[in-house]
Amino acid sequence: MRQFKKSKDQEKKIKINKSLSKNIDEMKETFSYGLNKDFCMRTLEVKFSEYNACLFYYGSIVDGERINTHIIKPLLEQTGDKLSNIVTIENLEEVTDLEKAIQNVNSGKAILFIDNDEIAYAMDVAKFEYRAVSKAENESVIKGPQDAFTESLNANISLIRKQLHNHQLVNEAVQVGERSVNEVNILYIKDMVKDDLLSNLRERLENISIDSIRNIEVLEQHLEERPYSLIPTILYTERPDKATAFLEDGYIILLMNTSSACLIVPVTFWSFYHSPEDRYLRFLYGNFSRAIRLLCFYLTTMISATYVAIANFHSEMIPPDLLLAITASRERIPFPLVFEVLIMEIAFELIREAGVRIPNPLGPTIGIVGALILGQAAVEANIISPIIVIVAALSGLSSFGIPDLSMNFTVRILRFIFILAAASFGMLGLIGALILFFMYVVSIRSYGVPFFSPVAPNFKSSKDTVFRKVLKKEYFRPGFLDLKDSTKRNK
Amino acid sequence: MQNRGYLRVREIVAMILIIVGIKLSDSTPALLTQNVQNALWLVPMISCVCIFPSFLLMLYLLKKYKDKNLVQLLEEILGTVIGKIIGFIIFLFAFLSIALDSRNYVEQIKILYYPEGPSGLIFLVLFGVVFFGAKKGFEVIGFSSFIALPFIKVSAFFIVFLVLGNLLVQRIFPIFGSGLSDILIEGAAKASIFAELFFILIAYVSTRETDIFYKGSILAAIISLFEIVIFYFIYITVFDYNSVEKIAFPFHDITQFVSFGKFFSNIETIFMVFWLIAAFLKFMILIYLATWIFGAVFNIEDFEPLLLPFTFLIATLGTLPFNSIINELQFRNYLLNAMTPFLILLPVLLWLVALLRGGLRK
Repeated sequence: MRQFKKSKDQEKKIKINKSLSKNIDEMKETFSYGLNKDFCMRTLEVKFSEYNACLFYYGSIVDGERINTHIIKPLLEQTGDKLSNIVTIENLEEVTDLEKAIQNVNSGKAILFIDNDEIAYAMDVAKFEYRAVSKAENESVIKGPQDAFTESLNANISLIRKQLHNHQLVNEAVQVGERSVNEVNILYIKDMVKDDLLSNLRERLENISIDSIRNIEVLEQHLEERPYSLIPTILYTERPDKATAFLEDGYIILLMNTSSACLIVPVTFWSFYHSPEDRYLRFLYGNFSRAIRLLCFYLTTMISATYVAIANFHSEMIPPDLLLAITASRERIPFPLVFEVLIMEIAFELIREAGVRIPNPLGPTIGIVGALILGQAAVEANIISPIIVIVAALSGLSSFGIPDLSMNFTVRILRFIFILAAASFGMLGLIGALILFFMYVVSIRSYGVPFFSPVAPNFKSSKDTVFRKVLKKEYFRPGFLDLKDSTKRNK
Repeated sequence: MQNRGYLRVREIVAMILIIVGIKLSDSTPALLTQNVQNALWLVPMISCVCIFPSFLLMLYLLKKYKDKNLVQLLEEILGTVIGKIIGFIIFLFAFLSIALDSRNYVEQIKILYYPEGPSGLIFLVLFGVVFFGAKKGFEVIGFSSFIALPFIKVSAFFIVFLVLGNLLVQRIFPIFGSGLSDILIEGAAKASIFAELFFILIAYVSTRETDIFYKGSILAAIISLFEIVIFYFIYITVFDYNSVEKIAFPFHDITQFVSFGKFFSNIETIFMVFWLIAAFLKFMILIYLATWIFGAVFNIEDFEPLLLPFTFLIATLGTLPFNSIINELQFRNYLLNAMTPFLILLPVLLWLVALLRGGLRK
């Protein structure tokens, strides 16, 4: 790595030569011309100055048609005093050192060297292939915009700008990676976001020293403070409307050309708990769905553990009829209760993991097999009792009520911790584990923002936490972001 | 210290409500009824009347000497040496009351929910959780208390609501129980059931708004007094004095007694959940405060590493008494009686010294 860095520094010093042939040799060698099949070189005689010139680009990542009509044709035919008045490309950049020229070729530009000129011209003709904008698959909503980010930076920014018409929305680029230099784009509203936060983020991006950061998903793990923590501290979303809503509140968005999603920093617990649909639905409906989601959080983390604790340690609590029913159904089960619960929970996780990886045509099959084997057959074989199937199904089903993938994993892992705690000490163990976990969550921070703000600690905000207010009554932007402009609307 | 200045008075209020309010659910009522019988519910009021002026005086002094916590105030008024000695005595009181309480709480958990579980293990779980929780720092404890408080109080209110049908109000008569003088003496002697109010003064400068600290703490003290009185009243009117005397943990007996409709007849585990949360938080807060006082007395800036040895010592001390009856009726009784005159007289002494030295003229 160090050696590589050195050579990079040396490269930096190489200025563009006045002689075209030397530049051509240099470029040919750098890009292994001839061996590298899609690296193209086109020599021509420029009409306006009657010098020889040479154009370099990667044939696979540029738009051939554009090069033809907007660069080569004008160069061969038009006369004029300088290059910028001849080529009809909207983005023309002058480059003086070779390293920059190489970088430009890598990112899909065409580089033009002209004899007797110490400046090379980089012209943006990039055309990376990407998927068309499609429906959000993983964070679907019923009411609300359906488009999702796609693997193209420009398309993604366009999706955001479409919703946010504000000249203060800035798109800043930071380069990361050393071997493959990729661009990370930071989007924020300039007259709102706190400068400390921004410089903190920039610093973290600049401090990433690694060969390459391919996409946002990898970047997320390089940016977070606690890689071993159970709690995610960066939000990941594929919905442009969600991203825009966060931008409007003064958060910062990170985009890359290679990912069909964005990162949002900083986050609080509520960012993971809310879904954009909560705000699209009317006040009562939205809050109802939040109440259900809160129940989901409880059920998915605690229901199995609560069942284990109550059935094992506090069975007097179960009403007699129900207790008899449970006992009767467990009569012929050979395993201890906690073991049963664990079997079922693990089985559910298996179905889930397999369901994600399974090829599409086989999808229905595994559903049937899973349901039959794990549901009916296991019960009939007296491996597990029917009530456990209900409990596990409930906790598994509820986990899908959590809108964020990272948080989803958190609660799924947490569930096992709680089951073990409950199995060891009943409610005492369970509550102990719960309170410790809760205190841990309260204590962590994401980019300096306490995870449970604005509830604890208290900040001025529009109180959009467990429930939300009527939109007309939201006056403030989140106070924990310490924004330059924290008022949404005046009272 | 993991304090970033986010703490507000509402978190302090929540903490006071937990550490003082939880007195309604432990064995304090059993301790008090031994002497006053069915005037149990009057005792906290008398205690409060006895100790509250001193507490107010303390708050007044803290307000006068700005930006000082309890120990710094003692040192400022009484001089470094005497101040430190008094501070150390306060630490000892806090430490001992936690240690004696710890046994008390472990017994409650053991007798009511884990009759076959070994005490040692329950100690381990309880104080394991308490230690790791306290380690998170005062702010986090405050935030957690604030978020947990509504749940705890709603569950307490729910108990009151469920038990209402079983009250027999006539049982409060004779109103003065075993006699007016008994109540007055007992009330005055046990004024230190509010001792936690003094311990939390070590956190006086940790909030952003020290100027409304006193409002918050007074409010919290009054609310907890009301809660305690209401619950003691319920114990007397539900059980009558003969039973309360013999019941070690009336709160838990009430939770076992009430039922929610005919179907849910044993719902004590629900209340146990919230009571456990409160108990965990209580010990976290108190252990943190005690360690803080110790740190302040011995000029240990970074006192949090002391949490582990102190938690261990407290758990060890808690296991020492031969049985919980001796622990409760002898040791805790002595401790409460001993703390009372100290806590009542200390602020007066401080005030007099400050007055003579002219510290109040600032």
